[in-house]
Amino acid sequence: MTTFLFYFFAILTVVAAAGVIAARSPMYSAMSLVGTFFCLAAIYALLLAHTIAVLQVLVYAGAIMVLFLFVIMLLSLGEAVGPAKVTFPRVVGGIASAVLFAFLVVAARPFVPVGAQPPPSFGTLQSIGAQLYTQWLAPFEAVSLRVLVARVGAVVVAKSRV
Amino acid sequence: MLTLPTLTSTDFLPLWPALILSAGACLVLLSEVFLSSASRSFQPLLTVIATVLGALVAAATVFSVPTGVFGGFVVLDPFGSLVSLVICIGVGLSALLAPAFLRGRQAERGEFYALLLFGGAGMSLLVLSNELIFLFINLEILSIATYALAAYLRRGPRPAEAGFKYFILGAFSSAVLLYGAALLFGATRSTLLPQMGAELARIFTDPTLSDRQPLAYCGLALIGAGFGFKIAAVPFHMWTPDVYEGAPTPVTAMMSAAVKAAAFAAMVRVFLVLGRGIPGDALLTGFSTLAFLTMIGGNLLALPQRNVKRMLAYSSISHAGYLLVGVASLFVKSGTTKGGVLGVTALAAGATPDTAGALRGILFYLLAYTVTTVGAFGVLGALERRDDEVRGFAWDLDRLAGLAQRKPAWAVAMAVFMLSLGGIPPMAGFMGKLLIFRSAVDAGLVGLVIVGVLTSAVGAYYYLRVVVYMYMRPAPEAGGLPERNLSTELALVLSTVAVVVLGVLPGITGTWLSRGGSVFLGR
Repeated sequence: MTTFLFYFFAILTVVAAAGVIAARSPMYSAMSLVGTFFCLAAIYALLLAHTIAVLQVLVYAGAIMVLFLFVIMLLSLGEAVGPAKVTFPRVVGGIASAVLFAFLVVAARPFVPVGAQPPPSFGTLQSIGAQLYTQWLAPFEAVSLRVLVARVGAVVVAKSRV
Repeated sequence: MLTLPTLTSTDFLPLWPALILSAGACLVLLSEVFLSSASRSFQPLLTVIATVLGALVAAATVFSVPTGVFGGFVVLDPFGSLVSLVICIGVGLSALLAPAFLRGRQAERGEFYALLLFGGAGMSLLVLSNELIFLFINLEILSIATYALAAYLRRGPRPAEAGFKYFILGAFSSAVLLYGAALLFGATRSTLLPQMGAELARIFTDPTLSDRQPLAYCGLALIGAGFGFKIAAVPFHMWTPDVYEGAPTPVTAMMSAAVKAAAFAAMVRVFLVLGRGIPGDALLTGFSTLAFLTMIGGNLLALPQRNVKRMLAYSSISHAGYLLVGVASLFVKSGTTKGGVLGVTALAAGATPDTAGALRGILFYLLAYTVTTVGAFGVLGALERRDDEVRGFAWDLDRLAGLAQRKPAWAVAMAVFMLSLGGIPPMAGFMGKLLIFRSAVDAGLVGLVIVGVLTSAVGAYYYLRVVVYMYMRPAPEAGGLPERNLSTELALVLSTVAVVVLGVLPGITGTWLSRGGSVFLGR
């Protein structure tokens, strides 16, 4: 059952993600992105990372996507862009991605999804918190610096031109 | 039951430069709130003080014994301390260039200096990271600071394009690196670099684990590609000229000096620690191919440039190529028999590679390149004028014509930087190339060194062309003159003196640099 669900959501994720870049209207892209986030949340839940799954839905599929849609509506990009043209960089990019995909298929072939058997506390808020403030203290503090920098950077980029 | 980690003062020892730079950044930010007059001249001063303090603290840890601290996430080793020192020098010199540049455009803001310092803190943390998640977060700190700085002045289409392009491609390359890290985690079940290195060694020796080998190779290749974007190696260099041209010149100076040094050092650390367990010539082949392409591509693309800022951007690509020769010589294993231009020549086969020597060469080159490139961009930044930015002729060769008659001292400084970039004795750039090529020859990479020397000769053409324009062409009628500004002149004097002194007396870095070969590899 887990394997079936994994493949179901994995294929759905890939299809939705492809929709994000294939759609010619920004609104369709954004809605495909919501789909991608939901399917990813389902995969996290299958991995028993329930907290991450809930946060994924709340933060990404919820808050961030609302912002995305607001921006798209404010910019009123109603007109869809014309159909994609075949250009030299796109052909090179396509070939490079195909080669990379082939390598990844070879690399991932020996690994089949199996039901995980983690300790019972795995994925709970308590164990995440305990891990975060003990073993992962250094990256946690670095993230706080990162958020501060991102905030200052956002102010600099968003302000009117100097 | 929660057991809190016990941290001693040793755990914080390598972090002090980053902590001082972040504290300086917060001070600059707060000063903006309590600003009582329009004068902001104390902000660059505060920035420079923070970088000087950071450099001193980094220098104090150069003689430490390599260990892992903070639960193995952070390393305390002379290599990391020396790169932190170079980063502080690069950020400090770029900050000195900024006041005149920003004042000329009525764009003085505290955020600019705060982001410079935050970027410096991220770079310092990056070279000390011994764990992939920590490394990625630090890479993001420095990248976000640099994205915002590149988009700081958005006048005209070029700066806007630069900011946007750098953000998109930077985010893409970070994602590539993260994907590689995830695949490697899948193969090794760890994110601590030393543990991953040990596990990789098992994967490549234990036949029962051989099904993880393709995953490991894919992970390593993607991490290499991610770093390739950050250091602007061919074929991951496409963004460099547009971004370097469009970004504010002091920011370009910081990107080409400090960001490049940090990304290089982090790449060297990651692959040195992971590479111990990888048999054969996989890493050697990868890095020598990158070095070959980057040296040839960077130099050939720089040749036709009349735009000096673009030329310097391509030159920064070619210098990444010379540095990659040094990196490739780190991965020659004794007994390697791979031949060809990219491999080990039969003459030198069997020579014992000198890893510590190659690391010292890379460090000296990073230091020499940092002082040279900041100086060169500093001269350019002082010569460009606001009204030219939109037209795109701000950095044409003609702007430098006759500089020797108008401003002899500036012309001398620029000539020193150009000669150093071209690798012409007695400048620092020559000593850097000498050290790197010598360790590469010792390792047996004779073919690659011959390519390096030939491409340097090609490079001499476009560097000397700048000198010819300054000294042998008449000045245009309405030629702009650089404004007098104490801090810009201080930065130029400091970097000129550093370039000459490092070139004539490379021995003064002696005992310090001799420690540079000592990298914490873990057990």
